[in-house]
Amino acid sequence: MSFKRLVVAGSVFALLITACGGGAAGTDDPTVRIGSDNFYESRLMAEIYALVLEDAGYTVERSFGLGSRQERAPAFEDGQIDLVPEYVGSGLGYYDATQITGDGETNRERLATVLADKGITVFGITPGEDTNAAVVRQATADELGLSSMSDLAAVQADLRWGLPPDCDENPLCKGALEQYGITYPPAERESLAACDVPIAEALNGDAIDFAWLCSTQPAIVQYGFVVLEDDLDTQPAENIAPLVRNDFLEQLSDADAFQALLDGASAGMTTEELTRLGVEVSVNQREVDEVAREWLEAQGLLGD
Amino acid sequence: MSEVIAWFSDPSNWQGSTGVPVRLWEHVWISAVSVAVATVIALPVGLYTGHTGRFAGVAINLANIGRAIPSYAVLVMVLPISLSLAPVLGYSPNLGLSFIPTFTAMVLLAIPPILVNAHAGLQAVDRDLIEAARAMGLKEREILGQVELPIAMTVIVGGFRTAVLNVIATATIGAIVSFGGLGRFIIDGRLRGVAGIPELISGAILVTVLAVTVDLLLGGLQRRITPDGVKIAEGQSFELPKPALSPAS
Repeated sequence: MSFKRLVVAGSVFALLITACGGGAAGTDDPTVRIGSDNFYESRLMAEIYALVLEDAGYTVERSFGLGSRQERAPAFEDGQIDLVPEYVGSGLGYYDATQITGDGETNRERLATVLADKGITVFGITPGEDTNAAVVRQATADELGLSSMSDLAAVQADLRWGLPPDCDENPLCKGALEQYGITYPPAERESLAACDVPIAEALNGDAIDFAWLCSTQPAIVQYGFVVLEDDLDTQPAENIAPLVRNDFLEQLSDADAFQALLDGASAGMTTEELTRLGVEVSVNQREVDEVAREWLEAQGLLGD
Repeated sequence: MSEVIAWFSDPSNWQGSTGVPVRLWEHVWISAVSVAVATVIALPVGLYTGHTGRFAGVAINLANIGRAIPSYAVLVMVLPISLSLAPVLGYSPNLGLSFIPTFTAMVLLAIPPILVNAHAGLQAVDRDLIEAARAMGLKEREILGQVELPIAMTVIVGGFRTAVLNVIATATIGAIVSFGGLGRFIIDGRLRGVAGIPELISGAILVTVLAVTVDLLLGGLQRRITPDGVKIAEGQSFELPKPALSPAS
C-alpha cells in the first residue's frame, strides 16, 4: 500500500506503455519457458510472471507443476526451463542449509553466489514471504496459554509434536527448538513433511498438537490454527524471487527491461497479499490464472 | 555411487528405531498384514465368481476400481476420514494418521490381482473336466477343492505374487503420513535435498532387494504347491499331461 509500491507500479506501468509502442520484447526474442513447483503458491507466482511478460509482448511457454524443488532444480539446471520462482531461504538450503539467514536480501545474495556457478541469475525478491510457521490448534493455544514459541518450553511434555523428517540435522528445526529451550527430540513425535497436506490434517484431526506449516498456507485460515510468534527470530527469510538462466538472458534484446518487468511484479507482493491470494486459489478453488490476472490488474501492472 | 556405499556402510544407519532392520521389519509387517487382509476379502469372492460364474462382472469391476485409484490418492483421501473417525470410534488418532491410511491404500492395491486371478484361474479350468467330476458324483465343494483349485493354483498364487510385489513397492508411500517402513529413507532423503540423495537411492535399493527376494521365495512356493500333474515344465505349453487323464492309467 506504500508510496514505494506506487512508484514501482508506476514505473513498470510506464515501461509497459513504452512496451506497447516499441516493445520490451524484440521480435527475435526467444520464447520464455517458465516452470513452477507443484503447489499453488509457486504456480501463482509463475503465472504472475508469465502474465506480465506476455503483456509486454514476450511469448511464454508454461511448464507448471514440475514436482518439488528436488525434481525441478535438476531440470532447471539442465536448461529445460528458463525461469522459475524460488524461495530464497529454502532454495539456498537445498544447496547448503548452513548458509541460511533471517534476512531475505542476504539469502538472495548467497543463493545468487551459489547459483552463479551454474549459470543462473537471481532477480529481485518480493517484500512478502512465506516462512516456516509454528502452529497449534486454537483449543491448545487457549488451554495452555500459548501465543509465542517461547511459551512452548514449559508445556513441551504435554504436546505431541509434528516435525519434518529432516529436523534432526536442520538448524532451522532442531536448532530453533533448542533455542526456545525445548529438549530435542521431544518424547512424542510424528515425522511429517512441513507445509504439506498430511501435517495440517494431522493437526486438525488431533493426531499432533504442534505442526510446522508455511506462514501463508491456507490451512491456517481454513482450520483457524494459531501461528506462534517466532519471538527469537529463528526462522529464515523466505522471500520469493525469479531464478533465470543466463544462457536465456543472453539471447534477449533487452535483458534489463526483462528484469525490470519481473522485479516490478515481485515488488508488489506482500505477505498479506500472498496469503489472501493463496486462500482464493486453495480454499475458494479459483483458477490460478484468474487470481493472478486480477491481482496484476489491481496493482496496475497490466497495460490495457 | 560411492556415497551410496558409504551410506550402507555407516553403522548409524543400521541401529535404533530409524535403522534399516527396524524399517525393514515395519515394511514387511505392513505388507504382510495388508496382503493377508486383502486375501481374506478377495480370495473367497474370486473363487465364488470363478466357480459359479455369477456376479463376476460386478466383482471384477469393483476390484478394478481399486486398481484405477492411485494409492497416493487413497492415502490422502482416507487421512481426514480416519482422523475424524478416531474420537467417534475411540481409536488412537495416531492410528488414524499413519496406519489406517497406509493399510487401506495397500489393501485396495492388493485386492484386484488376487480376486481377478482367482476368478480367471477357475474360469480357465476345462469345462469338460468339471462336468466329468460332476458326473462322477462329486459335490460342488469337492469339485472346487479337488479339481478346480489344484489346476488353478498356479494362476491363483500368481495373483498373490503380483499383489505382494505391488504392495512391497508401494508401501513406501506410508512414510508420507509418518508411517515407518523403508519408504522413510526415500521420503526423508528426498526432503534433505542434495545431501539426501544417497539415502534416497539406498532406500530404493533396499525396497527393490526386498521385493525381488520375496518374489523369488513366492515363486519357489508356487512351484512347490502346484500339483505334479499340472506343473508346467519349462519349454512346454500349458496343457494337462495326457497320462494323468488317460482312462488306461
